[in-house]
Amino acid sequence: MNETVIAFQKVSKTYNTVHALDSVDLTIPKGARVAIMGQSGSGKSTLLNLMCGLDVPTSGNILFEGRDLSLMNDDERTLLRRNKIGMIFQTFNLMPTLNCLENVALPLRLASTGARSAETKSREVLGRVGLTGRLDHMPDEMSGGERQRVAIARALVFTPSILLADEPTGNLDSATGDEILRLLDDVHREFGMTIILVTHNEHAAAICERRIDLLDGRIVHDGAADKLPDIPQ
Amino acid sequence: MITALSLIVFRDWRRHKLRLVLTVAGIALGTAVFFAIRTNNTTLVTSLRSTVEKLAGKSTLQVMAGEAGFSQSLLDQVRSTAGVDQAEPVTETVAALPSGERILILGLDTASDLSLYTSTIDQGDLTVKNPLAFTNRKDSVAITKSFAERRALKDGDRFIVNVQDGPRELTVRGIFGSGGLSEIYNGDVAVMDIYSAQEMFGRGDHIDRIDIANKADVDVDTLQSRLEAWLPSGLKAIKPDLRGESLENSVASLNYGLTVMSFLALTISIFIIYNSFSISVSQRWKEIGVLRAIGVTRRQVQLMFVLEGLFVGAIGSVAGVGLGFGLSKLSVRFVGDVTASFYGVSPISEGVKFSQVFALEAVAAGLIASLIAAWIPARAASNLEPTLALRNIETREKGAVSGRPRWVAGLIFLGAGLALTRFAPTEVNGNIQLFYSFFIMFGMILLVPKFIRIGGRILRPVMDRLFGAEGLMAIETMVHAPRRTTATVIALMIGLSFVVSNSSFIQSQKKAMNRSLDRAIAADMLVASSSEIHSRTYHFSAATADKIKSLPGIETADALRVTSVEYDGQEVAVMAHEMPQFFKISPDLLDVGDKETAIESTSNGTGALVSTNFANRWAIRPGDSITISSPTGPVVFKVAGNLDYYRSDKGTIFFDRSVYKKYWGDTNVDYLFLKVKPGTDLQSLRSSIASTLGGSERGFIYTHDEYKKWTSGIIDQFFALMYVQMFIAACVAVLGLANTMVISVSERRRELGIFRAVGGLRQQVAKMVIIEAVAIALIGYVTGVLAGLFNSYYLVTAAVRIIAGYSLPLVIPYFVMMIAAPAIILIAVISAAVPARNAARSNVVEAIGYE
Repeated sequence: MNETVIAFQKVSKTYNTVHALDSVDLTIPKGARVAIMGQSGSGKSTLLNLMCGLDVPTSGNILFEGRDLSLMNDDERTLLRRNKIGMIFQTFNLMPTLNCLENVALPLRLASTGARSAETKSREVLGRVGLTGRLDHMPDEMSGGERQRVAIARALVFTPSILLADEPTGNLDSATGDEILRLLDDVHREFGMTIILVTHNEHAAAICERRIDLLDGRIVHDGAADKLPDIPQ
Repeated sequence: MITALSLIVFRDWRRHKLRLVLTVAGIALGTAVFFAIRTNNTTLVTSLRSTVEKLAGKSTLQVMAGEAGFSQSLLDQVRSTAGVDQAEPVTETVAALPSGERILILGLDTASDLSLYTSTIDQGDLTVKNPLAFTNRKDSVAITKSFAERRALKDGDRFIVNVQDGPRELTVRGIFGSGGLSEIYNGDVAVMDIYSAQEMFGRGDHIDRIDIANKADVDVDTLQSRLEAWLPSGLKAIKPDLRGESLENSVASLNYGLTVMSFLALTISIFIIYNSFSISVSQRWKEIGVLRAIGVTRRQVQLMFVLEGLFVGAIGSVAGVGLGFGLSKLSVRFVGDVTASFYGVSPISEGVKFSQVFALEAVAAGLIASLIAAWIPARAASNLEPTLALRNIETREKGAVSGRPRWVAGLIFLGAGLALTRFAPTEVNGNIQLFYSFFIMFGMILLVPKFIRIGGRILRPVMDRLFGAEGLMAIETMVHAPRRTTATVIALMIGLSFVVSNSSFIQSQKKAMNRSLDRAIAADMLVASSSEIHSRTYHFSAATADKIKSLPGIETADALRVTSVEYDGQEVAVMAHEMPQFFKISPDLLDVGDKETAIESTSNGTGALVSTNFANRWAIRPGDSITISSPTGPVVFKVAGNLDYYRSDKGTIFFDRSVYKKYWGDTNVDYLFLKVKPGTDLQSLRSSIASTLGGSERGFIYTHDEYKKWTSGIIDQFFALMYVQMFIAACVAVLGLANTMVISVSERRRELGIFRAVGGLRQQVAKMVIIEAVAIALIGYVTGVLAGLFNSYYLVTAAVRIIAGYSLPLVIPYFVMMIAAPAIILIAVISAAVPARNAARSNVVEAIGYE
């Protein structure tokens, strides 16, 4: 059964006089891997921010698992983000004052999970992304690839239904970038979660079955990706 | 280039208005306190000087004998001294009006032409409708026009002043139009005939001084030598300006204490500015990197921050001068009342005048404080490597302020300060010893980063357990921003240490005073002629004292005259007791010396007791001799013992009243110490004393406990200004905390954005900010209490000994410490409220994209 995770219905977003998104219709089914591509300023990041409830549309509706985000208040959207959505950023966005384990445990702790349970769960997820030996390290003591793994672990710690990745390899060298893509691929296989990847890197987009191209806030292409990439094992 | 850099600075101010306002407010408050205290001190001193000079008229010399005055019989001899052109007797009485205000009543020989005072009292300007009545009627008084206008008095009207025998009506029979008198005490001055004044104020034939004008052919110094050649040793012929200096000397300790406070307020401001600029550098990390990358030199970056510091300092300082002027206007009357009550010197007569010199000094002090505070952050900014500055948030250099050399140096300074306080010998007026306090405080400042680390380690699990992730994040944020946290904790520490150490000092003073009162004033009941600690106006006559002494129920009575004499150039207090009775009422009064010998020698008039601070100041031990001057010649005493006594910061001498009567010719009494017979009802005795006083004569009757309570109230009154200062210091520290939280939120905009992005609710963000403020406040509290206790130890062990020769027991102000903890937490929550709200409302999308 093809359940819909996210649906955009005539969604527009305007910043002052700039139309970042213009009447976008979009449906993303559960378990899909979707690459959103486009040049800078095409509306990719706006689309992503709207999907996770960080921003609200100027007009139109966004349904997340059938619930209209525009009818939710800020706290409801935050709770949705915490429980259902994992986010990965180009600049990692780890808390610089927390170590690796604490960064991953943060969303759990914010949800009032006990310190011990949060730590156990975080250790498990960090083990899954290959960082068992780096638990006490601070972000500035880790490489870019390691930091992105921590960010992925943090995104996965709640086992969200959707993983939003904003240029996850943008700040990494190609070998490390491949590692991260492989990890995302593994995550998809293992958890079957929906992955939405915002990128302008064709190589990264190739891990997705579906590709959406944006230009000036409009979808100009929505279809199957040409082929899956060869990711070095 | 500077214009371009200025544009960057101005834009930054527009973005961070609240931070700018708080920084300016911090400087303004520090400068305001500095300016207000300087202005008040000067107003007080100028007032004393100008009053003395104005009252002296054209006289070039004044013959005086301390506050007790001397017999008018010397007047003829003065007048007949070669070179004396004119010599006029004067009495000065500060009397209370029913409203509590004071009026200075000058007793002058109105039968003379008063030409000596033409600069002050213009006879041509004096309207006396009935000159004969003025001279003949004893209730006649001439008042100033301003006094008359304020109280709607005209010729023939009557007004009441409280004299020793109760309220008395004076009749206005002359009004001065304008001139010198109106400029003294805001015109609250009156002139009476000297003989009427002597009678009304129970002065007998005593006068306060003889004003002298020399003949044109004899210079002042020659005349002074001629007069001093025959004047008894207790009388001096002095120039009026030197008399002003002597009065200044008596309020020097008060001025000194206030000046120390003003510098303290300024010091706290330095940390606020430092904090603000450190964060400003931190916030503009990337901007600085970009500037450096496009060719701005290190020197130009440094210059940008230094000029910004000076500019902000200038705005704050100028605002502070305005604020300080208002503050000094509010507080000057209070300072005047304190000096009048404690030192018996006339209240402030001058209005507060705006001094351009002080304004410039205050602005300069504010600018220097700003420069010092901005210098280190400016250097840090100029030393920044562009490549580092342009990196991501996670890789930015963390401020390293807690290195081993720093805390080791801190321990050394702290240890040295405490060791010197404990072991180094102290001597009165040893100003160098005031540096011990600097060592202690500097040591604590250096140790603050270490305290923050330790505090963070302790608070981390506690806050984690109590508040979950928000608590954990708050502590981590605090610990990982050592520069910001350190400067704030230092500001809080100094403010709180000020509160703790002063509370401790006040309580120590009270404890010492209570001990002294229990031992040296063990009377069951006390009768005082004045409600002030030191009154030069109100005394009981010997007859009244005798009547009270003979009342039934009294076992022993000691009639005491309190006055002052000059000893080694300083005005020391004199307590002329009836020594045998004094010892009977207070058998344990001696701290040093043999009791029996002391009773014997003081009772026969050969011996005297001295206060411990007198003994410390002049290194006097039992058995040593001291010589004091009296109006009839020198008096030599053998010191028979010491006792802790706190009436005068210069020292107190106790000797028998019979000696005082003999040498000073003064039979007045200020206090009666009464020991009652067993079973006597104190309330009945109180009624008997009141009826003996006739219901109209002034008298203040206290039981022992009431007297202690009254004394305690007087101490509070004395330190009231200190409480105000403590409040201001706390305000400055609070501004620092509020500023830090504004800065913290602003600096962590991106972090807070990430926090929200991964699921942090708005209220969780606000909670985190508030917890951080509370954690900083708690560390500020612990360090403040510690520094305060160290400083208390210094104050009671060394400072009071250096300034006044006192030694006090250390009292730990538990109550203040207990109240301060919730107060500082509350303050932290209030300070963080606005920043927390702003943090919670921040736009997450913008924040995440913010670098």
